[in-house]
Amino acid sequence: MRSSRTMTLPVTTSTSGGLPWRHILLAALGVLVVAFAFSANGYVVTVIGFAAIYALFCTGLNFFMGFTGQASFGQNAFAALGGYGSAILTADYGFEPAIALILTMAFSGVVALVVGYPTLRLRGHYLAMATFALGLITYEISINWTDVTQGYMGYSGIPPLGIGPYYADTPKQQLAVILILLALGVLAAAALKNSRFGRACRAIAGSELAAGALGIPVARYKLVSFVIAALYASAAGSLFAHFVGFISPEVFGTAMVVQSFTMLYLGGIGTIAGPLIGAVVVSLLPELMRGLKDYQTIGYLVILLGILIYAPKGVAGLLDRLLPKREG
Amino acid sequence: MSRRTMSIAAAAALALTLAVPVAHAADVYKIGAAVGLTGYAATTDRGWRDGLEIAADYLNEKGGIDGHKIELVVEDNKSDPQQAVVAYQKMMANDQVQIFASGCVSAGNFAAAGAVARANIPMVLCSILPRRDNEIHWAFSFLPPPIYELEARMQYLKDHTDIRKVGVLNDPTPYAMLMAKLADPAAKKYGIEIVAHETYQQDDSDMSVQIGRIKAAGATALIKIGIGGSTVTIAKNVNQLGLKDMLLMAGLDDAAPYLQAGQVLGDHFMFAATTVQIPEAVPAGPAREALDAFLTRWKAKYGDRDGSAASRAWDAMMVIAKAVETAHSTDGAKVRDALEQVSHYQGAAALYEFSPQQHVGVVKNPFVIGEVKDGKLVQVK
Repeated sequence: MRSSRTMTLPVTTSTSGGLPWRHILLAALGVLVVAFAFSANGYVVTVIGFAAIYALFCTGLNFFMGFTGQASFGQNAFAALGGYGSAILTADYGFEPAIALILTMAFSGVVALVVGYPTLRLRGHYLAMATFALGLITYEISINWTDVTQGYMGYSGIPPLGIGPYYADTPKQQLAVILILLALGVLAAAALKNSRFGRACRAIAGSELAAGALGIPVARYKLVSFVIAALYASAAGSLFAHFVGFISPEVFGTAMVVQSFTMLYLGGIGTIAGPLIGAVVVSLLPELMRGLKDYQTIGYLVILLGILIYAPKGVAGLLDRLLPKREG
Repeated sequence: MSRRTMSIAAAAALALTLAVPVAHAADVYKIGAAVGLTGYAATTDRGWRDGLEIAADYLNEKGGIDGHKIELVVEDNKSDPQQAVVAYQKMMANDQVQIFASGCVSAGNFAAAGAVARANIPMVLCSILPRRDNEIHWAFSFLPPPIYELEARMQYLKDHTDIRKVGVLNDPTPYAMLMAKLADPAAKKYGIEIVAHETYQQDDSDMSVQIGRIKAAGATALIKIGIGGSTVTIAKNVNQLGLKDMLLMAGLDDAAPYLQAGQVLGDHFMFAATTVQIPEAVPAGPAREALDAFLTRWKAKYGDRDGSAASRAWDAMMVIAKAVETAHSTDGAKVRDALEQVSHYQGAAALYEFSPQQHVGVVKNPFVIGEVKDGKLVQVK
């Protein structure tokens, strides 16, 4: 039986009737993008690097919004915690970037736990507003707590990713590290999605009442899902800080929320591939439109609208239509 | 065309657009500009871009720089640091620009400064300098030090009024924050006390609360620090609150908001003016000649539009030209070295003195205090 909220439910691919063409196609596209990035110049590396960081962020957000069916407009708060945490620990206190990344992830997880416990008792629009407020509060703190964040002046001198004597000194090395972490993040999300916990989250997305009736601890699982999304967001924020070497409040502002939602819905919410596709498309499209100069944003938005009109379930949903799964 | 063919064509276009570097001819000198054509810095940075364009046209008419025609590559950074990094990378990798003359989005320039320095490309900026030594080494600022605007206002208060208690109201942009930090020492120097510090966001539509606090602290003048339409909003709020004895002193802004604020507050509104805003304040001599050289071309193309940011861009381009001619080379390191040798250069906006120790070119206060009279900006007598 299908729930009325099938948009947020995952699409399970059956491979029993033949080759998993969608997976093969997506893997081939992924290999092409990566090969393209490593054979191209610094500009492409930068664009693909940002796309990969956003893909990681959206993979976490997808867990909370896509798989668990909850709304969060405030994940940028955890990206800010990750970014500023890594910046402060590495630039001011000499921590190894890898250690700083892990420590800030742990800190973000604890914050998500503390904040999420009361917040996730809310539902629907109220939850959306509460999480949005969380993002806004963090943004204001990052602007005004200048002794720690340096406000709009930004934080510079953040070292590249690395540990011990091994540092990703060049942009391509940094991209390689980001892509490895992204791959790990996606594999972890895929494993979690198909685990007992993941199936419970998907049941919550379908109906919290029904999930509760089945014995699923709804509040606890929602909280865990929120913490998982926060861990991903924190890692993305840290990676951004190390990749660019500079952060300022604008990086983690409401634009990040809009950008990540666009990626999530355009790529296909509730799917593993969706956030990856969305991040790549939304990152590359504006660059393709650069030649339009003053009309760049208009061109970009027209194409986005076109995609959403003709692929309302995102590009991943479109692939489902073009390459339907085979039943065994 | 089939869907598949279209997809392949789109992928090919993507690869070509992103990956193919544009080779530049030996007789072309490519100058890149990362500017905030959209976002909070749009007013200033559009002026900066237009100033670069008329300067490039002027120099190209004269044969270019040291025999090289100038090619200007402009990219919108959307007043956002992440977009600025992408814009800079695009101009370095694809357009292969040889020098940057970028706009006033400080955070954007800071974010890209490390990569630009590693590529040995000099950057002249409308913004303040980045903060790390290796980045400052390659960067040159054409923005007057923030203290100058403040000192012009404080000096006026000391010399021409009995106001000794003021409040500061600033936005949180890097330049405004730097100025706000400097306000206390600047005020003390002129025997003035800052009794309240308040901030606002660029998109705030009402600052009555902050103004009320400043008034309650005993201030009779309000030192406003920030850009955009906020000056007009503050003027309206002061008027609405009926603060008849409050003097609003603005700075950093364009002529348009000054004119509007002047219409609201009359002689209770003053501002730290650039020489471009009130050319009559510059006496005859080399400074006036340099200013007129810019204004003649600016007014021919843009009429009465405020050319303050554009005049700095014009000066930046002329200083680049001087450096390239001195170096007899377009090599990044040699041009950088030559930029450090540009001293006592009289530009349209200011006198510039660069040296190995001095990468902020403006070392003499160019500001005068202005007011609005009969719909025009004039110097306060």
